[in-house]
Amino acid sequence: MSVMLQTPSRASTGSTTSVQPLSRQNTMSSYEGSRSARQSKRYSMSALYMSMSANESDLIIEDELARAQKVLRDLKTKISSQSKKNFVLEKDVRYLDSRIALLIQNRMALEEQNEVASHLEDATDIQEGAFPNDDRTQKYGNLLFLLQSEPRHIAHLCRLVTMAEIDSLLQTVMFTIYGNQYESREEHLLLTMFQSVLTYQFDNTPEYSSLLRANTPVSRMMTTYTRRGPGQSFLKSVLADRINSLIELKDLDLEINPLKVYERMIEEAEAKDPESPEAMLPKGITQEEAAENPKVQEIINPRLTMLTEIANGFLETIIEGLEETPYGIRWICKQIRSLTKRKYPDANDQVICTLIGSFFFLRFINPAIVTPKSYMLIDGTPADKPRKTLTYVAKMLQNLANKPSYAKEPYMAKLQPFIHANKDKVNRFMLELCDVQDFYETLEMDNYVALSKKDLQLDITLNEIYAMHGLLEKHAGELYKDENSHLAIIMSELGPAPPQVPRKENRVINLPLFSRWETAIDDLTAALDITQEEVFFMEAKSIFVQIIRTIPANSSVARRPLRLERIADAAATSKNDAVMVRKGIRAMELLSQLQELKVVDKSDQFALLRDEVEQELQHLGSLKEVVMAETIKLEEVYKTIRDHNAYLVSQLDTYKSYLHNVRSQSEGKTRKQQKQQVLGPYKFTHQQLEKEGVIQKSNVPDNRRANIYFNFTSPLPGTFVISLHYKGRNRGLLELDLKLDDLLEMQKDNQDDLDLEYVQFNVPKVLALLNKRFARKKGW
Amino acid sequence: MRIYGFQPCREFHIVVLGTGGVGKSCLTAQFVHNEWIESYDPTIEDSYRTQVSVDGRQVMLEILDTAGTEQFVAMRDLYMKAGQGFLLVFSITSQASLDELSTLREEIIRIKDDEKIPIVMVGNKADLLDQRAVDRKEAFAISQQWNAPYYEASARTRTNVDQVFIDLCRQMLRRDDSGYNDDDDYNGGTRNGGGGGGGYGCGQKQEDGSHGSMMKKRRRKRKGDHKCIIM
Repeated sequence: MSVMLQTPSRASTGSTTSVQPLSRQNTMSSYEGSRSARQSKRYSMSALYMSMSANESDLIIEDELARAQKVLRDLKTKISSQSKKNFVLEKDVRYLDSRIALLIQNRMALEEQNEVASHLEDATDIQEGAFPNDDRTQKYGNLLFLLQSEPRHIAHLCRLVTMAEIDSLLQTVMFTIYGNQYESREEHLLLTMFQSVLTYQFDNTPEYSSLLRANTPVSRMMTTYTRRGPGQSFLKSVLADRINSLIELKDLDLEINPLKVYERMIEEAEAKDPESPEAMLPKGITQEEAAENPKVQEIINPRLTMLTEIANGFLETIIEGLEETPYGIRWICKQIRSLTKRKYPDANDQVICTLIGSFFFLRFINPAIVTPKSYMLIDGTPADKPRKTLTYVAKMLQNLANKPSYAKEPYMAKLQPFIHANKDKVNRFMLELCDVQDFYETLEMDNYVALSKKDLQLDITLNEIYAMHGLLEKHAGELYKDENSHLAIIMSELGPAPPQVPRKENRVINLPLFSRWETAIDDLTAALDITQEEVFFMEAKSIFVQIIRTIPANSSVARRPLRLERIADAAATSKNDAVMVRKGIRAMELLSQLQELKVVDKSDQFALLRDEVEQELQHLGSLKEVVMAETIKLEEVYKTIRDHNAYLVSQLDTYKSYLHNVRSQSEGKTRKQQKQQVLGPYKFTHQQLEKEGVIQKSNVPDNRRANIYFNFTSPLPGTFVISLHYKGRNRGLLELDLKLDDLLEMQKDNQDDLDLEYVQFNVPKVLALLNKRFARKKGW
Repeated sequence: MRIYGFQPCREFHIVVLGTGGVGKSCLTAQFVHNEWIESYDPTIEDSYRTQVSVDGRQVMLEILDTAGTEQFVAMRDLYMKAGQGFLLVFSITSQASLDELSTLREEIIRIKDDEKIPIVMVGNKADLLDQRAVDRKEAFAISQQWNAPYYEASARTRTNVDQVFIDLCRQMLRRDDSGYNDDDDYNGGTRNGGGGGGGYGCGQKQEDGSHGSMMKKRRRKRKGDHKCIIM
C-alpha cells in the first residue's frame, strides 16, 4: 500500500502535536514511561501515522481537542517569532545603552551619531524579499537544509568562532535555523548540537575544576536556550511568586556578614546617640572580632533562621517543579551526567551532581534569582536589601550543588545546617532531573518525515544568510577539508560570501529547504523497516480513533465495549459525509486484511486492536485538559514577552527622539533653526497618572487627590516643565524643569524615583509618557 | 592625645573581574586568607575585607569577588559603579579568557567615565606552564595599550598574589593623594534621590543646551605604570 505522504505545510511539522502527540509528549515534556524500545517504536510510529493522515486536509477532525490544539499551536508559533523579534530589539537597545551615555555627555562625533542612528532606523519589521535568481535560492536552500539537519557543522563552527563573532551566529542558530521553540525536530537537532559541543569540551578540558566554567559560544547559546519560551515559563512558575513576595519587603535586612552588621550597628547607634556605648565601639576590627561580638550575634542569629526558611521555600518549589522542568534542560543535565561518567568512570554522585549543578543552578536557576528583572520575572529593580537576600538564597542553593569552601567567606559556614539538611535531597533531585528519555528514535523519525515533505521552508534574513556564509567561508580549512563533502561542494558552488547589506536593504527570505543528495522518501514503510502487518495495524487504529472522535459521544455506536465492525459500518453508511464514508470503507478493508494476516481475531471482537483504540481515546481525553492547561501557561509567557517587547520598543523610541533632538540641535548651529514651537500644556489628573504607574508613590491624602492635577509642557525640544496644581489656586504648587538627558541618565543608573515632594514619579514611565505625548516630527 | 597611627585608614573598593574558571576566587582567597581552594565552587558574589600595609600606610580593602559565569552579567553594572580599582583576571591557559577582558575594560571605562581608573591585569595559572596558551608578550602588549601593569601570577603557588593587590592599592592611593575627587565614584552605587529639590535638574532652571548634571572630571596623567612583572 502506499503510505499517505501528502505535502503538509511546515507548520504542521510542529503540529504533529496537534492531532496525535504521543511521541511528542514523550520527548517534549519530561515525563517518562517505562516502555520497551519495541513498544516505543510502535508507539511513535502510530503517532507518525496519525499525524500524517491528519495532515490530509479532508481528514481534519473538528472536535474540541483539535480546536484546543490549534489554539496552542498558533500560540507557540507566535511565541517563537516574538522571541526572535525581542532578541533583535534587545541587541539594538543594548548597543544604544552603551552609546547613549556618551551622547548625553555630548562626546560623540557626528559619524558615530550616524552609526547610532542606523540602529534606530525602523528595522523592526523587515520586508519580505527574494533572491534575484532561482539558482541562489536553491543553493542556499540546500546549504541551510544541510546545516539544519546535520548539527555537527554548527557544533564545529561553535568551537571555531571567537566570542566577537558569536552574536550573529547565535541569532541565526537559536532563532532561525532552530527557531521553532516548540517543534520537536528542531529542538532535538539543537540539543544534538549542544551534545556534540559538550562532548568536545569534556574531552578537551584537562582539569576537573575548569569543566563547564568558561564562557564559550556554546555556553552563550545555552543561556539563550534556557531563556526561550519553555525555560521562561518554568522560571516564572517556579520563582516569580517567591521573588516578588521577597522584594516587597524593601527594608528586610538579612545581612549576615558580621563585619557589615557590626558597621551598620555602629552607624545606627551614632545616628541615634553618639554617646551610647555602641557608638563608641572601635572601628576597623577583623571579621573574627566582629563575629564574636555578642550584639552582632544577637542580630545575626534570627537572620540565619529566616534565610534558611526562605531558601528552604525556594528549594521546595524548585524540587516540586521537577516534572515541569523543560525537557531540553533535563536532557542537557542527562548529557552532563553521562559525559562525567565517561570521563571519570569512578566518579561518585557528588562529583556528578556538582557538574549538573554547574549547569542547572549556576546557569539556569540562580541567575534568575539574582537578577530577576533581566529574566522578566519582576518589573522593577529590587532594592538593595532584598537584592542582597536574593543573592544569599542563590549562594545557598549553589552551595548545595557544590562542595562549599568556607575559605572564601567563613561566616557562610553558619549556614551549614541548611546544607546538611538538604544535601541528599538536592543530589537526588539532580539525578532525577537526568531521568528523561532520549529522543534519537523520534528524531530519526522526524527527519524522515522532514525529508518526505516537499515544502519545508525557513524564514531567514539576507544578512543572516550572508553572515553564516561568511563564517563558514572563514573557517573553511577546518570545517570542510574534504572537498568531496556535501558542505564543500555547496560552498564552492556558492562562491565567496557577499558582504552584509545595509539595514534598510535587509530582507526576509522565505527559503525552501531541501536536500539534493537525499531523495525525498516516497515509501516511508521501506525506509523505516517495519512490516506490512504493523502498517495495517497502525493505520486501522488511527482510522478508528478518527471515526470515534467524529461521532457524537452519546450515540449508540460509541457505547462500550467498542464494537469495531459496527463502528466501521456506521461510518461507511453515514449520510452526507463523503469523508466519513471513505474512512468507514477503509476501516472495514483493514479489519479484514488484519484478520487474514491473523493479527486480530474476529471471535474476540478484535480485542487487540479494540483495546489499543480504547487506550488511545482515553489518552486523548486527558490530553485535552493537558492542552488547555498548557495553553493557559503559554498565554502567560506570550504576554510576558509581548510586554517586554513593548518595553524595548518604548526604550528605542526614547533614544530615537533623543537622538533626533541632539542632531537637530547640532544642525541648528549651521542652519537657521526652525522656529521651535511650545507644545502643551497637557493636563493629567492625579488619578490618571497613578493608573498609568507614572506616580509610584503619593504623599497626598486620599481625600485631596481628586483636586490635584499636573501640567506637562515642552517649551523646547528635549526640555519639559511639569507643574503640580491644586484646583482653584491660580499658581502651581510646584514646578519642575526636566531635561531629557537627566531622565535618561537616571534611567541608565537604575534610578527609578523622580521626587516631586508630594508625589514620586517612576522615571521609565515618565519617559514613556513624554515620549507618547510630545513626540515631534524632528526632535522633541 | 594620639598622634601616632591616627592617620585615617583609607578604604578602597576593589572588584575582581574575569571570565569563569580563571581563578578569581583562588587569587582573592589566597590574598586575604592565605588559603588555597581546591574544591569546585563557582562564585556568585563574595565580599572580603582586609587591611594591608602599602608602603607603610594602612589601607582597608573591600574586595568584591564576582561571578565569571556570563549569565550573571546583569550584576556587573552595579559592581563597576561601586569599584574604585579593578583586577582583570584571565588564565594563561585560555586565549578566550584574555579576549574577554577588553569588553570588561571598555565597560568599566564607560561606567566610571574615566580612562585612568586603576586597573591591574593578571594572567593567572602561571604554574601551568605546559598548558600555556597565551604568549606573555601578547598579554603584555595589551596591558601597555591599556596603560595598566601586567602580572603573571599563580594562586596555587601563591606567586605574585600580594603584588597584584598591592599594585592596585598603590594606584588608588596615588590618585587619592593627588586630590583626585572620587567621592562620586565612591557613592556611585548608592541612591541619590529623596529629599525634595536636590539634584537632577529639580527646581532650578538650567541654561538651554547645557548638560548640567554631568560633573566634568579633572584628569591627571599617571606615569611609570608600564611594567611587566614576571615570576
